[in-house]
Amino acid sequence: MDFPENLRYTKTHEWIAVQGTKAKVGVTEYAQKEISDVVFVELPKMGQVVQQAKMAAVVESVKAAFDIYAPVSGKITNANKALESNPALINQSPYAEGWIFELELSSPAELGTLMTAAQYHEAVQQAPKH
Amino acid sequence: MTMMLETEPTKLPLHEEHLQKGARMGDFGGWLVPLFYSSIMEEHTAVRTKAGIFDISHMGEFLLEGPGALDYLEKNLPRRITPVRLGQAIYMPLVNDQGGMVDDIIVYRMAEQKFLIIVNAGNIEKDFDWFNARVTPGVTLTNLSDEMGLLALQGPLSQTILLECFGAFYKDLRRFHYKDFEGGVIARTGYTGEDGYEIMVPKHKLKQIWDVLFLVGAKHGLLPIGFGARDTLRLEAAMPLYGHELSDELTPLEADLEWAIDLTKENFPGSAVLKKQKETGILKKRVGFEMTERGIPRQGFEIQKEGKTIGAVTSGSFIPTTGKNIGMAYVTAAEAKTGNAIDVMVRGKPVKAVLVSLPFYKRKG
Repeated sequence: MDFPENLRYTKTHEWIAVQGTKAKVGVTEYAQKEISDVVFVELPKMGQVVQQAKMAAVVESVKAAFDIYAPVSGKITNANKALESNPALINQSPYAEGWIFELELSSPAELGTLMTAAQYHEAVQQAPKH
Repeated sequence: MTMMLETEPTKLPLHEEHLQKGARMGDFGGWLVPLFYSSIMEEHTAVRTKAGIFDISHMGEFLLEGPGALDYLEKNLPRRITPVRLGQAIYMPLVNDQGGMVDDIIVYRMAEQKFLIIVNAGNIEKDFDWFNARVTPGVTLTNLSDEMGLLALQGPLSQTILLECFGAFYKDLRRFHYKDFEGGVIARTGYTGEDGYEIMVPKHKLKQIWDVLFLVGAKHGLLPIGFGARDTLRLEAAMPLYGHELSDELTPLEADLEWAIDLTKENFPGSAVLKKQKETGILKKRVGFEMTERGIPRQGFEIQKEGKTIGAVTSGSFIPTTGKNIGMAYVTAAEAKTGNAIDVMVRGKPVKAVLVSLPFYKRKG
């Protein structure tokens, strides 16, 4: 599975790509496989304030809803509207077209609590197998 | 994202075959079952357009026989059993003394005084106790659940595949009829809203039959189907599921299953309560609805009308073939009208929906 080196990861399977004071967030390759076909995405609202490790969006498969947590605290500056008409982008391109929201970091120090690609890779390998 | 917890459920007899076909396994009422193989989307579509096989060996089977068997069933079941002919099967809810539904079952008449009863996996123990507590002299009740396996072949091409596999002997099998097969039966029944068969055989014969079906079915586009698509298919066909639309507290009248009971029949458990309810009217009713705004309904979501709670969702899903978000629910009888605009409370927010007539899907022909 592919976990790009330039991203940081959470235990709850979100990735974050930091660019200056802003960052894009999505779910990992592992997560999209676990969720299976994404059929619905509920995006956060512009300007919404989110807290680290608290729910910021919802991704649903046919059978279940999955909460997506903010990897770090901040204010929502953009959301991927394309997912509303084409939620399968999360499955097809979890790290690019399947990004979910963008936020302005309020506590950049929180980034230090996240995992590197290597650390996340190891965490995923220890996850229970089906 | 949060993941579901892993438990240690019972494996199906064909567990290894499911893994070989790439199944994602998951828990279903204490059983480790295939949730999907390729994807729920693809599998739902395959059953609607071609054919699919389901391993439903988790289901329970009881044998009821002896000189008192027919009398026993007439006394305890809400439909007349005497008119059910040899080779025929009949669906009904199992009703408790309060008029609530213990389960829903299919009864097969195997001989004059011999009946096979198929029950839901999660209710095997409860149903067995229910039947057993009512056993009278001349009636023998046996739980075959650990010995029998069950496969369902469903979809418009299922007849073609079945006849190629097992011969023209099964050609004229009518709906809700069965014929003997390999120490079990092949019945023209199912839980998808499509044409199809349920094949019950002793567990040790399952693999052979599974293999033959795929050998022949592959060229017809036959796919293995997991429990994810089983649920979306039965929801679309508006078939109730115990634990969702059926419960020990809800009555068949509330569940819109009056067609599956016989109120002219005397003295079956709950009959007095049901006859009274028929006269006085029900207070809530099972309905179907379709979302008109974005949102997927899920079991337990509240249903409101102008800010007031009128009911709750019992099943809900995105439907792969239509792209619609639909559900079944119980709402107050006064609001249970087709075309009624309602709000489904999705994560605390009202999302618009409209009541529609059931079923959502009806096959052609």
